[in-house]
Amino acid sequence: MNTAYPVPIDVPKSTIRNTASLLRIVALSLISGAAIASRLFAVINFESIIHEFDPWFNYRATRILAAKGFYEFWNWFDPTAWYPLGRVVGGTVYPGLMATSGVIYNVLHALNMPVDIRNICVLLAPGFSAFTAWATYMFTKEMKDESAGLLAAALIGIAPGYISRSVAGSYDNEAIAIFLLMFTFYCWIKALKQGSALFGTIAAVFYFYMVAAWGGYVFITNMIPLHALVLMLMNRFSNRLYVAYCSWYAIGTLASMQVPFVGFQPVSTSEHMGALGVFGLLQIIAFIRLVRSHVSAKQFDQLLSGVGVLIGILGALAFAFLTYKGKIAPWTGRFYSLWDTAYAKKHIPIIASVSEHQPTAWPSFFMDLQFLIFAFPAGVILCFKELRDEHLFVIIYAIMASYFAGVMVRLMLTLTPVVCVASAVALSSLLDTYIDPTEPRPEVEDRTDAVSEAGSVATNGSSTPHPNGQSKKAKKAAAAAPQTPKGALGDFIAATTPTPKGTAPRQKGIFGIDARLVVIINVLSMLFFFVFHCTWVTSNAYSSPSVVLASQNPDGSQHIIDDFREAYYWLRMNTPKDAVVMSWWDYGYQIAGMADRPTLVDNNTWNNTHIATVGRAMASSEENAYPILRKHDVDYVLVIFGGLIGYSGDDINKFLWMVRIAQGVWPDEIQESNYFTPQGEYRIDDRASPIMKNSLMYKMSYYRFNELFGGGQGQDRVRQQPVPKVGPTLDYIEEAFTSENWIVRIFQVKKEDPLGRDHKSANAFAQGKKRKHSKPAPRRRALVA
Amino acid sequence: MLSLRKLIVLVAGLASLASAKSSTGNSVLVVVEPKRQDDFSIFFDGLKKRGFELTFRGPKDATPELIEFDVPSFNHVIVLSAETKNYAKDITPQSLLGLLKSNTNLILPLSTKTTPLSALAAEFSLILPPPGTPLISYFPKRSEPASLIPIKPSKHDDLNIISKNTAPIWFSGVPQALGNNPLLVPILHAPAESFASEVDGGSPDALVDSAEKGGEGLWAGSQLGVVTGFQTLNGARITWLGGVDLLKDELAQKEISPGVKSGNAQFAQDVAAWTFQENLVLRIDKVEHHRVNATGPSEQYTNNDQLVYSAFVDKYNPQTGEWERYSGLNDLQLEFTMLDPHIRTALPPVKGTPGKYSVTFRAPDRHGVFKFVVDWKRKGWTYLQSSTTVPVVPPRHDGYPRFLSAAWPYYAGAISTSVSFVLFCTIWLAGEVRESSKKPGKAGKSE
Repeated sequence: MNTAYPVPIDVPKSTIRNTASLLRIVALSLISGAAIASRLFAVINFESIIHEFDPWFNYRATRILAAKGFYEFWNWFDPTAWYPLGRVVGGTVYPGLMATSGVIYNVLHALNMPVDIRNICVLLAPGFSAFTAWATYMFTKEMKDESAGLLAAALIGIAPGYISRSVAGSYDNEAIAIFLLMFTFYCWIKALKQGSALFGTIAAVFYFYMVAAWGGYVFITNMIPLHALVLMLMNRFSNRLYVAYCSWYAIGTLASMQVPFVGFQPVSTSEHMGALGVFGLLQIIAFIRLVRSHVSAKQFDQLLSGVGVLIGILGALAFAFLTYKGKIAPWTGRFYSLWDTAYAKKHIPIIASVSEHQPTAWPSFFMDLQFLIFAFPAGVILCFKELRDEHLFVIIYAIMASYFAGVMVRLMLTLTPVVCVASAVALSSLLDTYIDPTEPRPEVEDRTDAVSEAGSVATNGSSTPHPNGQSKKAKKAAAAAPQTPKGALGDFIAATTPTPKGTAPRQKGIFGIDARLVVIINVLSMLFFFVFHCTWVTSNAYSSPSVVLASQNPDGSQHIIDDFREAYYWLRMNTPKDAVVMSWWDYGYQIAGMADRPTLVDNNTWNNTHIATVGRAMASSEENAYPILRKHDVDYVLVIFGGLIGYSGDDINKFLWMVRIAQGVWPDEIQESNYFTPQGEYRIDDRASPIMKNSLMYKMSYYRFNELFGGGQGQDRVRQQPVPKVGPTLDYIEEAFTSENWIVRIFQVKKEDPLGRDHKSANAFAQGKKRKHSKPAPRRRALVA
Repeated sequence: MLSLRKLIVLVAGLASLASAKSSTGNSVLVVVEPKRQDDFSIFFDGLKKRGFELTFRGPKDATPELIEFDVPSFNHVIVLSAETKNYAKDITPQSLLGLLKSNTNLILPLSTKTTPLSALAAEFSLILPPPGTPLISYFPKRSEPASLIPIKPSKHDDLNIISKNTAPIWFSGVPQALGNNPLLVPILHAPAESFASEVDGGSPDALVDSAEKGGEGLWAGSQLGVVTGFQTLNGARITWLGGVDLLKDELAQKEISPGVKSGNAQFAQDVAAWTFQENLVLRIDKVEHHRVNATGPSEQYTNNDQLVYSAFVDKYNPQTGEWERYSGLNDLQLEFTMLDPHIRTALPPVKGTPGKYSVTFRAPDRHGVFKFVVDWKRKGWTYLQSSTTVPVVPPRHDGYPRFLSAAWPYYAGAISTSVSFVLFCTIWLAGEVRESSKKPGKAGKSE
């Protein structure tokens, strides 16, 4: 046989197989190591701390779970959240993440390893990223082969799109959900390929885990039925599909209904109806096929398909009727916002106000996926080339996820796995083609070779007979399977090993080693640059805990800005245990987690009215806000102010959202246009509108800000505007705490004046101002002659 | 006569000497011009006999200070220098207000002149007439000047504070129109025929003018107060005297009519007793809440639980200086509040248990953080305020009824499906074995 470069021939097949398998294991463990290690930047640069906002709630819930056990957690009513409404946590949370950490915690403690629950929470996401790499390997293996699988595992291990939600400390649902997503898909593909009820059941079990872990489970709920539907439409219905889908759907749906937060949604909301419809359609088609197999007459056949169509139409009508009657909940706002990106802005400002619900900007695709974004379409096209059932899945997944990632920033997360899979398929095909040492031979030789290696086709994974792809597949298998171990590493070893024969002619031209090297080196350098890019992005963009900020000193050294924890600790140490803290909802979880104080609203935005109440208080003048504050027993108000050091994510920048949300509920009292200058600008300087200047939020942010500049012109570094010479004054609240860099400011709400005066006149008296002389009020009306 | 009165005071003083004390403490600072100190000896003696320790200080003296290291030095302060315009540095309207905020009780005088204290009076919703216009009444006909008026406590006055059968009180000073502040406690009103005017009659035009405006700016009639109390939200008490003369020995000994002594001495002690928290002092000693049939309180309650709430009210007994259980309130209310009161119910006294007020009610079918709120405010009495926070939670996962009769169709469906599945499997498997032993193939279906 002619080879492009010397390869060892006389190595026994078993040795090759064993070596390949060993190398795979080694490669997978190295990939896992890399995946975990690259996520530890956050711990190394900062410390072992829970990040951002939602993770703080998850962490707090996990601590309850670890301390009190699962049943107490299930029945946990949190009286400190959403004061005074409280939150039924057990019924409004996806418990999968906390349960996972709780199990790990208990197992470790049973093994006498007293690991702190915080460290488990911090390191859970990196740990599960290793599992994700493995699940992606398994999934991609089903698409192409092991080498593509390894490549996909390596890509997903370090792709920034996934790292962004899974660095150490990012203890969020997505941390485990992506693993569950990929593994459920793998089980589904496996079940579909083999027609295996066992794998269908395993898929259902992992689907249940996914339902328990992340609200994004709806993606699976619709992906799998969509795949099944497309297969049916392509006339690829088979008993395998029937068994796989029915076992997945029946068990998965029943299991998912056991999660309290999900409850009866799988049979009552529109998002889940697709799965139910496909389930019904499968039964109809299966029934028709059954009947057809028993009845030979063609007329019967047509009649039955007519009946099938009729049943389908009736089912659709029943669905429409039930939706109309309200038995099936209509689509939710979040869902509409997936189709119309302007929908949320118009109707549900609270959803639109979340930055991760904004449409994705183009650069962030490149930032998160780098060159994969170019390799990804190639992989999808390669899937079209073979178009086995599982390739259809990747194609559908790619289309859906691309769309959703374009609509919402956070859904970049669901796109990343399929990008990695498709890119891995593309790259591995490219490498396979160019590393393959086999030279083109005369036709005769080629045929015998193909026949001799026919056995390996069966072992190579595809059990679907596919007449078109047969010879091509065989050729590839013949080339790849027996002679070289999978993967680039194996080829490299093979290439460098001196061969006993060494008689292969080194051809020039398109099949020559130089032409191959050009392509291979190109691909390899792309992969290398990808690694550098990922490392850079991870360490610079995605590893900030956002609880602790970092800036650089003039000499380049790192300067840590720790205002948030400073302020939360002040609250924890200096206020009574039941002091209610009002802040915008972004900081609710952090206050509950770090300061351990009741909050009015938090990141679980379930009650729009309550959030609007807070927005209204912030947007009103002091005297209007005071009754609201007193009614809700608010003791402290916390605002985030970035004007001093230029922290742009502060409350003045979020203020318009508060106004909008409040306006949605109280359109008569709060109007967004009042907060702009007559020219329609959003300003905080002298030209700001009076209502803006009198709002509680403005006053709290700029209270005593002038004094910092010692009489000079104060400058807000976020808005780049000078602040008014005369700063705002406060009557109903008083400053209690301001952190080092002024990021967090805490104000105490005054109790009612003991003399029953309003605070404005009480303050005026305390400052020595004379009250206007008053006269006794008239007791009778004057007679008018 | 004088000796008899002294004897009575002495006896009363002896009876209470061991015990008659204020509920908040006995140290009193009296700010008075040193040379005027003797004018008030009856009043001071009365206070001393009831157990108060008096410290005297001139209005311009620097010591003893009202507040040292942010802690008030005395439990009560009486200012008797009504016409002083310049006090020592530490006596300002603001510092007096600070005293009130730290639960020090005050007796403050007003006069026809503008003093720092008249600026303070405005903060208490007292509306003073223009300077130089004392209260004047030409009725009843008498030999004294028109500005010295005998006032008989009537049913409009606070008879909880003023002792019964107090003789008419000689008053000379300024009246106060009362704003609509609910915290005001009018103790003694002006007589209906009285009005504020310049002593020599003044210009009647001003009166006519204001009368034509519907009474705006008219200081006249029984709506005016001459001695007015005020109880702050934190429970401190302050009494504004229209004039300090009514505390003076001269008026205390002056006869109201031949043979009848004036009520001034008695009235002065009554006012001091109320202001210094001896009278009408209540407190909520403790509150309890639990489920019906449970003994101890729960950390949280479930929707629709039957709850029992009890409050124990004490009244201060100045005779013994002790708190005693008090069942005399008939209008106590309990609110069960989350943002708004979900339940508002009477909290009646329990017969047989003195001082206990209790009610049983059903928790609302609504989860959230609720508060048991008792908020009782009556003029003159200490405000009773109590707020206890409890979460009301939905039933536990195993707290719902296990089997519902309404669900029997579903139970029947589930059971029949399970049974028929088992039956089907059994028949299928059994049939398969029998058939396959006869002939291989799938003949089972034909049966």
